[in-house]
This record gives sequence, structure tokens and C-alpha cells, in this order.
Amino acid sequence: MSSQPILRVENLKAHFRGTYFGVSREVRAVDDISFDVERNEIFGLAGESSSGKTTLIKTIAGLIRPPLELVGGRAQFAFLPDAPTIHQAAPAAVAAIRWRHLSYIMQGSMNVLNPLRRIGATFRDFALPHLGGSAGAFEATVTAHLERLRLDPSVLSAYPHELSGGMRQRVTIALATICKPEFIIADEPTTALDVIVQKDVLGMIRSIQREMGSSVLFVTHDMGVHATLTDKLGVMYAGRLVEVGATRDVFAAPRHPYTRHLIHSLPRIGDVTQRSGLPGTPPNLANPPPGCRFHPRCPLAMDICRTVQPAMIDVGPGHRASCHAISEGGS
Amino acid sequence: MRAYFSYVCKRLAQFVLVVFIGINLTYIITHATPIDPVEQSISAVTAFGSTAPESIAEMRRSLQELYGLQGSWFEQYVSFWKRIVRADFGPSLSAFPAPVSSLIARALPWTLGLLVFATVVSWVLGNLLGGLAGYYRKNMGLKVVGVIAMGLHPVPYYIVALVLMIIFGFIWPVLPITGGSAMNLEHGWNWPFIVSVLKHSVLPALSLVLIGVGSWFLGMRSLVSNIVTEDHVVYAEVAGVDSRRILGSYVIRNALAPQVTGLAMSLGGIFNGAVITEKVFGYPGMGSLLVDGVYAGDYGLVLGVTTISIIGVSLGVLVIDLLYPLIDPRIQVPS
Amino acid sequence: MTAILRDLLRYNGEFRIGLLLIMAVAVMSGLSFFSPYPPNDVYVVAPDVPPGAAHWFGTTSRGQDVFWQLTFAIRNTLAFGLIVAVLSRIVSLAVGLTAGYLGGWVDRVLMAINDTFIVIPLFPILILFYFVLRDSMSTLLLAVIMASLGWAYDARLIRSIAMSLKTREFTETSIFSGMTTREILMREHLPYVMPVVFSTTLNNMNWSIGLEVTLAVLGFMDINTPTIGGMIYWANQHTAIVAGVWWWITFPILLVVMTFVGLYLLSVSMNEYIDPRSRLARMGGGAQ
Repeated sequence: MSSQPILRVENLKAHFRGTYFGVSREVRAVDDISFDVERNEIFGLAGESSSGKTTLIKTIAGLIRPPLELVGGRAQFAFLPDAPTIHQAAPAAVAAIRWRHLSYIMQGSMNVLNPLRRIGATFRDFALPHLGGSAGAFEATVTAHLERLRLDPSVLSAYPHELSGGMRQRVTIALATICKPEFIIADEPTTALDVIVQKDVLGMIRSIQREMGSSVLFVTHDMGVHATLTDKLGVMYAGRLVEVGATRDVFAAPRHPYTRHLIHSLPRIGDVTQRSGLPGTPPNLANPPPGCRFHPRCPLAMDICRTVQPAMIDVGPGHRASCHAISEGGS
Repeated sequence: MRAYFSYVCKRLAQFVLVVFIGINLTYIITHATPIDPVEQSISAVTAFGSTAPESIAEMRRSLQELYGLQGSWFEQYVSFWKRIVRADFGPSLSAFPAPVSSLIARALPWTLGLLVFATVVSWVLGNLLGGLAGYYRKNMGLKVVGVIAMGLHPVPYYIVALVLMIIFGFIWPVLPITGGSAMNLEHGWNWPFIVSVLKHSVLPALSLVLIGVGSWFLGMRSLVSNIVTEDHVVYAEVAGVDSRRILGSYVIRNALAPQVTGLAMSLGGIFNGAVITEKVFGYPGMGSLLVDGVYAGDYGLVLGVTTISIIGVSLGVLVIDLLYPLIDPRIQVPS
Repeated sequence: MTAILRDLLRYNGEFRIGLLLIMAVAVMSGLSFFSPYPPNDVYVVAPDVPPGAAHWFGTTSRGQDVFWQLTFAIRNTLAFGLIVAVLSRIVSLAVGLTAGYLGGWVDRVLMAINDTFIVIPLFPILILFYFVLRDSMSTLLLAVIMASLGWAYDARLIRSIAMSLKTREFTETSIFSGMTTREILMREHLPYVMPVVFSTTLNNMNWSIGLEVTLAVLGFMDINTPTIGGMIYWANQHTAIVAGVWWWITFPILLVVMTFVGLYLLSVSMNEYIDPRSRLARMGGGAQ
């Protein structure tokens, strides 16, 4: 039972394909990605903007819309055992698991609440079909849930524009957790918030995850957040997963030069050395560099890196990385 | 509540400004141009035969008094406003001695009925179909409606009215093409009269509705196709919210707010359409009154209809503006 | 620019149809220079001849050839629309850029006046102009009057673009490099606004031609200059439909509808090129 992960991603590929005004392009935003998420853990996903993090989780959550297309691989949830990926399942089955088993905290939560609908009505739209019961019982459930998250139930009669940014984010988290889902996808839920509110919201996610025993797929570019919050960590670069392992192991012994760069660029108390930037810019995914996509910016780049794509290799228990420097015995 | 109060004040101020500028515009047009409305009126009257010079002089004096064209520039301006405030535009020359205000009072219900009916029907129908077309972009039937709307929307009211008149008046004569009701009926709440009024209003209303539906349809369709990509709609879809609920409460509902603003902004244009449509079908409303007033050289009548139109349309806009917070709780208070 | 046109031509059906219609209309108006009959002469041909080999679109009850008369009419009508559009664009640009860029009380005052012109029903005011001016009303004067009344809607659009341009980084750079407000507006912002100005030009032409036709049909214009509205006016005066001279009224209507639809389709397809969101919708993004 416990050996089966709640989410298994295998060789997942999703590309943006579009032709408009004569320009046909294919952007390989998610390219051959594999990892597992176990029950009752927070899996962190790191990487700079436009590294494909959001596209990856959209693909996993079944939010594939043109021009995005699923090209190959699977992303299978334990609660949808018959479907290789969520959008190959029957629409009715997907509708039934959404929010009940799988919920989502979207990026830019400022705009995810309908501006013309009171918060209470949004709660009803999202959760009442799943929780059922009388209107009074539902109201009681929602109120109890808000109180547990130390939110004033009077927000239910407010419109989104009447709430502060931090408040809206907390309401969104309450909304995403009202049905006690087994799996929560959180896409940069703290990015737009100031530091104090950010800490508050992170604590909220942590405590509710512990209480419900859910799994969280937590996406942020902020390595500091990963260090304090996540149990496991995957690092993405240019549409590929370059390193994955227990967060503690990855921070203690990062094996991919990109991971090392991300960790070393974190500020540390007492450390006054100059942070070195990474030369160059992330590659254009419509035309990625051959071989290892990181090689143009990599301090360790060798000849093989320019032609051969490195495979994921085990570097420790549950710790994998894809870099030629490891197999060459380096580092 | 404070926000609503300041919103209401702002809308009221805008209303006053529109009426003020509009009325001043009519004043400038009628007073600052080299052509004298009195001479216009006299030439209109004397065009049909010779009139004694002394009676012309008499007429000139009384017309100048009537139109408030005596005294200094300032006195004229003040008397102009006084007459507007009292809704006193003097007697009509073409329907002498009936006062202009009573002619307008008789025509106003016809225009109001036609306008309100046509506007409501086309707004509701256009937004409903446009909303569905924006949401279900692959539906063939709605695509066809879109093509028809694209062909109809840019055509001016006059052309549509004329084409309808040719089709239903000459090619396939099934509907009355002129007047507001059959001649020989007693006006009032009796069945034959009501049926006759409805029958006579079909073609004028249809020309307004055809164009109206087209433009609301196109506006709504493009609004909706943008709104479906907005975060709150995508989020509701992610949450598995019932798709009819999303279409109704998340998509169409949210697109209606700009369409209500759009309605307020296009009321003037719709009124223009009503004027011309009435004239085409000889419908006894403000439009026919205005055009006939011009033909008859009836200065008081033309001025009266213009003024009442400006006030009426601004009033309509004000009503829509004051109702707007019902549909959008975020009253815009620019910082 | 040519690349954009080529792309639009290849991938946008609306643009193709619109361009085809407008080119047909333009050719028609160009033919006026080769007309065998002067525009204002009447009874130069046999009246009431139905369409045929001698007179393609027939002749009017006033003894004019409908086809050649139409070439003059559409030329004058297009010229009228163009004059109104160009003149009113100047006002729209001035008001929109000034209000959007300066903001504050200038913006509030300008937009209050702007909204007034949006709301006021212009048709009665135009009629009032005609009523006062009568025979002094010329096509050119009407164009000037309409331009001074018809700028408001697009000024608001341009203002909103100017407001978003103002917050962009390059504007600050220009300010710090010592450019004056006028220089910034003319050199930095105008190029961004131009595509929108172009598409509103087409819409404005539709608006002004529509009003011109309407006014002329009622006889509230200089009816001796041949225009589309003027032709319909004369046809109505001679009760062409009742008399069975349908070609006198059908061909002008067909031609002017072609103009309206053509201009509209061009402006729609151009807007789509300007606004990337609708481009995405065309690719099938958004809901199914």
C-alpha cells in the first residue's frame, strides 16, 4: 500500500505546437520527465522562470489546452488507476476527482477568484457538489474549516476586491483544501506576497498538509522556501528534470552543476562573499542546444556535453541527477 | 456605501455636463451661425405665395420675440435657457397653433416604446448568442450567426430599413410599411388598435434589432473568448465546477459588465438609428417629427426635438450608469 | 509592413474578403475618370432602361447611366469618409495622447468632455446644422462638422493605450534623457498608437459614410454632388421602387454595403493582428 506512490510521472513529454501567420513552432516545454510523489509528502519543484515548471504541473493536472499538446509518457494518479494520464480518463471521472482528491492552488492567486462573486458563492460552486449535504451543513463545514485556518468566516460575504492580497491567498488555500484532497498542486503560491505574509501562508500549507496527510506538489523558484518546506526536491532546467532527491540530500550534496548554482546563490547569514551569477540566459526551447541543454552555461562543460544528452543516473538512495560529469567520475 | 455615493455624484455631474454641453451646442448652432432662423421661417412661409410687406415685418417681430432673439447676446442666452427649463419651445409653425411641447409629448411614447423594446431585445439576444458563440467556438450554427452578424453590423440603419421595406412592402407584401397604426382605429387600450400598433412596429423594430443583435453579438463573442482564458475561469474549470455554472456565473456574467457600459455608450447611436428608421416607415415618433420639422422649416419644432433628444438620451445613460453597480460590485473609483 | 500584409493575406480569410471588396469598390471609383458622361448632367441617355448590354446597371428616370453615375457617387462618398476620418483622427490623437500621457486633472477634464461627445445623439445635431445652414451646407463643410463631432470614441481608446505606454520603461528613459513631452509623444508613442489609429480610421469611415448616406437620402445635404446617398435620394424622389426601376436603388445599396462590409472586415482583421489574445483564440486556445 505505502509502496505505491500517489503520483507516478514517467517520461512525460508535452510540447507547445502552433502555426500562426506562417510561423510554425514547437516548444519542448516538458521533455521526458520522470519522478514519483509519495503519500504524505511535500514534493518541491525548482527552476528559474520559463524552465517549464508551470507547464509540467498543468500537464500533470490535465489542463492541456491548445497550443499545448501531450506528446508522450504518463502521469498517473493512484486515485485514477485506470488512466495513464488524467486527460485520458473519462470526463465524468475527472470531474468527480477534481477538488475531492486533486486540488490546485494556481499562480497569480490575485485573479483566481471570480471578481463578481462573493467568496461564499465561490465556495459553494467549488465544493458543494463534492461534499453534498444540506446548505446549512455545508455552511457549517466551511465555517469550521475557515476557523481552523484562523480565517474570519465573515470573508464569505465579501467580494475578492475587498480583501488584501495575503487574505485572498489564504482564502484560496482554504478553498483548495476544503474537501481534504489527497493531492494538492501549488504553483508559486507565495511569490507575489511580502515576506511576513509569505511565512504565514507557508506555515498554513505545512500545518494543513500534516493534519490531512495529503501530498503537495509545490512549485517555486525560491530555493529558500524549498529548504524549509519540502521533503523532496526536483530541479528543472529548460524543460528537463536535471536532479531529484530528498531535499536534505540535494542541499547537502547537489550533484548537478545547475542545482549547485541555485543552492550557492542563496544568501547565508554571515557569508559576505560575492554571489556569482550564471553566465548566459536560459535557452530558447523552440531551438534548444544539442546535447545537455545546460552546457552553454555550465562551468564543467566537456566535449560530450555538446553532443550527447546525459541520462538520469542514481547518485544515492532516491537521489538521481543527469550530468556527464558524474558518470565521468567527476565532482 | 461611500464609494457608491461618490460614484452617483460623479455620474450625476457627467449627466449635467452632457446636457449643458448639448444644449450649448444647439444654442451655438442656432445663434452663432450667419443664418437667421427668423428669416428661414419667413422664407418657408412666404415661399407659397406673396405676402404683404407689413405683415412680414409683423411676423418678423413676433418670431424674434418667440425665439428669444431680442436684446443682447447675454439676454438671448438667458432666455434660451429659461425656455429649455420650462420645456417651452413656442407654437409649431407647421402645426400652428399647437405648441411644440404637445407635439413632442404625443410623439415621445411611440419612440420610447420602439426604442426600449428594440434595445432590450437586441441586447439580450445579442449577448446571449454572442456569449454562447464565444464559449462554444466550434458550434457551426453559431458560426453562421457570426458571419451574418459580420455582414449586418457595419450596415447603417437606413439601408437595413430600406431593404426590409422593399422585401416586406413590395416583394412579399405581408406587413404594413408605413404609419404607427391603421388610420381608422380609435387610439386607446382596445384590442384592434393594439394589434395594429404591434403589426406596424414589426418592421421598424426589426431593422433596429437586426443591427443591434449583430453588434452586441460580435462584442460579446470577443469579450467571452478573452474571458475564458482569464485565471478565475480556468481555476473554476480546474476545480471541476459544473460547466453550465461556469458559462453562466463566471463567463457571461462577467462579460455583461462591459456590455452594460457599452449599452450606455451606444444609446446615442441607437437613438440615431431610431430617428432614421421612423422616417423610413413613417412611424409617428420623434424621428419623423424632427425630419418633417426640417422639411416644413419649423424652427421651434426642430430645436425642441433636438433638445429633448439630448436630454432623453442622457437620462437613459444616467439610469444605466446608476444601475451598473448592481451588475458590478467594484465601482470604479479612479485613484 | 509588407510582411504583415502578406501574412494577413495568406492566413486571414476576413482580411482577404475585406480587401477584395474594397479593391472592387476602389476600382469602381477609379473608373469615374473614364466616364463618358459628366456627373451632373441629366437626360444624357434614354431614361428607365433596364440593365443590359448598353447600360450594364440600367439608366435612371433622370436619364443617367446608373453604372457611370455610381462611379462618381462612390468616389465622392469614399473621399468624404476619408476626409472625416483623417480630420477626426487628428483630434482623437491630440486628445487621447494628451489625456493619457498627462493624466491628472487634464485627463479628467478632457475625458468628461470626451464622454459627453460619446453620449450626445449626433444625428439630431447634424440635422440642426443642416436646418440652420440649408443651401450653404456643402459636402466639405459637413465633413468638417462630422469630424469635429466624431472623434470621442477613438480618443478614449488612444488614451488607454497612451496610459499603458506611459508606465513602460522606455518612456522613463526618454524623460531622463531630456526629451520634452511633445517629443516623447511624437517620436516614442505615436508609432505604437498608429496601428490602432489605422484600424479606427476604417471604422470611422464606416460611421461617417453611414451618416452621410442617411443625411443625403433625406435630402439634408448638398444633393447636387453625386454621392451614394444622393442617388438613393433621387431614386426615392422618383419613387423608383413603385415605378419598377429597381436597378436605380439596388445597385447603389449593393455597392455601399460592399463598402461597409469591406471596411469592417479589414478593421476586424487588423485588430486581430494587433491584439495577440484574439490570435490565440483563433489557434484554438481557451475553452472548447
